Amino acid sequence: MNQKLRRLGSNTATYLVLLIPSIIFLFPCLWLILASFSSSGSIYSFDGFFPTSFSLGSFKALFTDTVMYDYPEWFKNTLFIAVMSCLLSTILVILTAYVMSRFHFRSRKALMKTTLVLGMFPSFMSMVAVYLLCTQFGLINSSWGLILIYSAGAPTGYMVQKGFFDTIPSAIDEAARIDGANNFTIFRKITLPLSMPMVVYTALTSFTWPWSDFILPKLLLKEKSLYTVAVGLMSLGETEFARFAAGSVFIAVPIVILYFCLTRFLVSGLTAGAVKS
Amino acid sequence: MLEALRQGDRRVAASAAIMGLGQLLHGQIAKGLLLIALQLSAVAFFVLTGGKMLLGFVTLGSVKANPAMGIEGDNSVILLIMGIFGIIVLLLYILIWRANIKDCYNTQKRVAKGAAPEKFKAELSSLLDKNFYKTALFLPILGVCVFTVLPIVFMILIAFTDYGGAVIPPELVSWTGLDSFRKILSLGQFAPTFFKILGWNFVWALLSTALNYLGGLGLALLYNKKRIRARAVWRGFPILAYAIPGFISLLAFKFMFSYGGPINQMITGAGGTAIGFLDLDAKWTARAIGLFVNAWITVPTTMLLATGILSNIDESLYEASRIDGASRWVQFKKITLPFVLFATTPVLISQFIGNFNNFGIFYFLRGGLYVDNYFLASDTDLLINWLYNLSIDNNYYAIGAAISLIIFIITSIISLAVYVLSPSYKQEETFR
Repeated sequence: MNQKLRRLGSNTATYLVLLIPSIIFLFPCLWLILASFSSSGSIYSFDGFFPTSFSLGSFKALFTDTVMYDYPEWFKNTLFIAVMSCLLSTILVILTAYVMSRFHFRSRKALMKTTLVLGMFPSFMSMVAVYLLCTQFGLINSSWGLILIYSAGAPTGYMVQKGFFDTIPSAIDEAARIDGANNFTIFRKITLPLSMPMVVYTALTSFTWPWSDFILPKLLLKEKSLYTVAVGLMSLGETEFARFAAGSVFIAVPIVILYFCLTRFLVSGLTAGAVKS
Repeated sequence: MLEALRQGDRRVAASAAIMGLGQLLHGQIAKGLLLIALQLSAVAFFVLTGGKMLLGFVTLGSVKANPAMGIEGDNSVILLIMGIFGIIVLLLYILIWRANIKDCYNTQKRVAKGAAPEKFKAELSSLLDKNFYKTALFLPILGVCVFTVLPIVFMILIAFTDYGGAVIPPELVSWTGLDSFRKILSLGQFAPTFFKILGWNFVWALLSTALNYLGGLGLALLYNKKRIRARAVWRGFPILAYAIPGFISLLAFKFMFSYGGPINQMITGAGGTAIGFLDLDAKWTARAIGLFVNAWITVPTTMLLATGILSNIDESLYEASRIDGASRWVQFKKITLPFVLFATTPVLISQFIGNFNNFGIFYFLRGGLYVDNYFLASDTDLLINWLYNLSIDNNYYAIGAAISLIIFIITSIISLAVYVLSPSYKQEETFR
């Protein structure tokens, strides 16, 4: 009896402790979601944390009232940039990782060391230079400039994928080679289908990066019609709080759902990257 | 290379003199002509524009623009970029020239063994097989060179010029050696700000990394408790925070702590006066809020990582220690912590570096504030924010570049030192 009571007490304590992080992490999200459904836009009309009356007005305004803040246009720009750079960077990263894993050519070690050193430069340092370069080459105010920069830089992050390719036994390649397949065919017909999980992981991470980046677009996109969602939302003030909340919820929801579906996947990717590098 | 030149016959010598000539003499017509064409275009390039590029790199321009006189003048920045470009082309040409000599020497060895020189078609098809790596790496390497290496080289070089301030095109930029570094470390304007920011930058990196690491590990251990039901639901809350794009969380927190924000509304509602959490004079409040917001965003990542690592610990270690009468705390201290530390040292380093260069937090929370006694910065700004203020907002390009070089030196020394001193490097085999 006594023991049962003690266990009950300890269980209650555990659940009470569990509540603390849950509230800390949930509360700001809840606050934002409720704010997006408020009927008045300004943060000043709220009663403390929460709006006084609710409606779908902010979401409607987001897509119809586009004179000052053209959210649909921002959304289109973001989607275009994210999809294009996701496609390009996935191809480049997978190719690089495959080659680094399977070919033992002479300058391989040198290349790997160079990427390591390149990774040590603060990514921001080259940002300033990229900005200067782009002003010289007319890539300011151009979606393609962003796409180029995102995908060109991607191959330096090939380590996780290389670790994955290292685990695919090379005996399969040997067998195919005996059947007369060349390396390109082996990559296309055998390795690639076997690595679909890794391709999905790569695509996901290279999609979310441009989807939620704000530094580069803020730097390179000066024209309002070319804004991405991140830059656009940054330009909203306190009186447009509900619009900000609605816009945030609208682009966060798909990503959140994706993450929840692929959590296990992300964990293995994270751990692989951590232990390997 | 030396061997090829010493042991090579007259065909190799011909290749060294004129690219492709040796190949032609071997009867490899297509390849020979291709290489000769390449050499001709390279010579034409350097005679027509490349030479000027290299010269411009050295002088950074000599004619100042003067619209009144109708003189267009030199743009030093473009000259510098094009100079780097010219050097890259030159290096590329030397590489091809070396490969051409080696190729000729290899053919010579092949012929000496009695085989015929390789057919052009066979060599092309090897690009999809034996030499597939060359084909596959061509685009990635090109991209990295143009958008990663070129900017870094450009930035390093900028640090040794006087580019910035009043000296921007059409003014002429010139090489000034270590002047920018001297200015940062000793000049009245920059030096006090630099050292104040550097100190805070270290405090910030240490505190935030420790907070995130312990927070993430603590949460992972908490969710790992055996008695918890509906574990996935509890774990879902931090994952929610993890999945929300970072800039949204940052902007939302800025609203939350703003003057009209909900916290201040509750304070005024209760009869108090609004607090400027992120105001000009809010030094330590703002810093504490920064630490909290950063933890809110990054703790979930660490938690996921630690969860993955904890599941790799051998259960039998705990069994054995329980039999020996070890308490929970001793188990944590002797088994869990060493294992997790061992497995996460690389992550710890990269998180430290990431926090050292954490641009987003204070850019969003307190961007654009300039505090007294700081030169174009606020008391929460990190070096990376100062770098942004200086170079993007105020055109101090050379100073900014010098600061980024200093950041690079600091971070690479730290990561190297920590890595070498860490258990994962010293005793690689411990947990295998």
